[in-house]
Amino acid sequence: MEIPYTVHARPDTGLYNAKIGIWLFLASEVMLFGGLFSAYIFLRVGADYPWPVWDLDVKLGLINTAVLIGSSVTVVMAWASLKLRRFGQYKLYMAITVLCAGVFMFNKSLEYSAKFKHYAVKLTDGTILTGHLPEDDHHKTIPYQVKFGDITALSLTIPVKNSAVTADPASYVVPHLEGEPKFKTADGKEIVLNAASFAELRAQALAKAAADKKDSASVQLTAVSPLKAAAKPADIFGYTETTITFRDGTVATGKLIDDKMTLLVDGIDTRAVAQPEKSLAFDQRYLAAWQPTFVANRDHHIAEFEKHFPTRDKSKSATLQKESLFLKLHSSTPPAAGEAHGNKHGAEAHAPAEGGHGHGHDYPTVVLEKNDVTFFSNFTPKLNTYYAIYFTLTGLHGLHVIAGALVLGYFLVFNGRMMREDPEHLANRVEVGGLFWHFVDLVWIFLFPLLYLL
Amino acid sequence: MADNVEEIQKSIKKYLWIGLILMVFTAITVWLSTVELPTHGLNILVGMIVATFKAGLVALIFMHLNHERPIIYKVLAFTAVFAIVLFVLFYFSKQDPLVFEGFYSIPE
Repeated sequence: MEIPYTVHARPDTGLYNAKIGIWLFLASEVMLFGGLFSAYIFLRVGADYPWPVWDLDVKLGLINTAVLIGSSVTVVMAWASLKLRRFGQYKLYMAITVLCAGVFMFNKSLEYSAKFKHYAVKLTDGTILTGHLPEDDHHKTIPYQVKFGDITALSLTIPVKNSAVTADPASYVVPHLEGEPKFKTADGKEIVLNAASFAELRAQALAKAAADKKDSASVQLTAVSPLKAAAKPADIFGYTETTITFRDGTVATGKLIDDKMTLLVDGIDTRAVAQPEKSLAFDQRYLAAWQPTFVANRDHHIAEFEKHFPTRDKSKSATLQKESLFLKLHSSTPPAAGEAHGNKHGAEAHAPAEGGHGHGHDYPTVVLEKNDVTFFSNFTPKLNTYYAIYFTLTGLHGLHVIAGALVLGYFLVFNGRMMREDPEHLANRVEVGGLFWHFVDLVWIFLFPLLYLL
Repeated sequence: MADNVEEIQKSIKKYLWIGLILMVFTAITVWLSTVELPTHGLNILVGMIVATFKAGLVALIFMHLNHERPIIYKVLAFTAVFAIVLFVLFYFSKQDPLVFEGFYSIPE
């Protein structure tokens, strides 16, 4: 069966069918992105923290905007070339369009990976330190881990009835232990803890619990020799000075060795601190040496602002708040007095938060006490609502770029015969694909200023 | 719809010009965001006006909405109404404000 009206217009609508189809689809896309833009407004209006402005890499965003606009031109040129039966030109323009999509996604991946490697640590007084985790000699990031030693015993609880949490030490405990996990059971048998040996213990314990008519069975294991454990905080349920609770509910008894967090600091954000110059970041243990730089930078920006806008309310300028209270660090030691702001004024204040991570840049290293930290995260959706909506919007937009590139790439690679034999049909296909591509560009026209600039 | 050869040849030049104008207005958007207007809300407003202008160019010229069949305008009119409703939704939230002290308040 042949699909009707692929080339000529349907008399009642005056259009070929695919064009009606794509416009109905784009109408639904407007609602999809409209809903998310509406969510953006809600989140921004309700944010209880300074909404990030110029927080992303603006240069990269600007390049991507130019790339998308350029590809919008080339895709419409591809369509026009096809209408004029200039097949060589059509192929060239189409190839450039698909290439632009590749460049866009490549830049996006740079932007995303920089965010995944960049961390924000909130201190108890509201100060936020931004920076990177240390790297080993092979430029591999050393994750932040809580370290335990002298682990002598494990206590496992197995609920008799179905439960969301049930002891599964082979998956949740053993991966975090160093050395061979040799334990003695309550009746003195020596075992290596793994899935098979635990299944046996579990069956015995459940049988015993059934005989005793208890709701849960328990297994006690004693380490043959003291063990060590190391785990990312997200991989365990919690810990104290003497116990560590794994995500399956297993409790290990031992001794906390180290839960300090090492951070290469590239920014000190004191916008939430009542007395910024007394921020916890400037404690003797941390970045006390940077306090004069901070004060000089702050006073410089406030003086500049007062000079340019003498009548305006300083507390209401988001830009001034950021420039004066969010100090970016570009070296491992503070600059000499008088160079605190230097010629980097403006550029420095607007610098993207990620900096150059590691290579070519030196940052001061601080070792943060756990008691001083209330929250830490890399720059992912869990950090704040801005990053949540940033990843949702740009992620969905990126999927559209990929989908558009696949469709246009298909026309280029697989529709050669149609191009020679029925160019008008292919021109219509390209027009429809192009309409989608322009829509993707149109969404980005709003995304770029909203997420990068304003 | 531009269907004859002459018209298409004319519009090719137009497409290149529009591309250039879009690039220029992108640069203007970036520059405008660095200008300290009396309130940041004004910066957002100006930025969105420029973005809407750019989006209008893409829709009218690249997407040929400046000369389309009536049925497409009818479809889009419905979309516009529903999209506008989405954006006034947050006004309703003002009728039921959540008042709370955030940990992150601007210092005095």
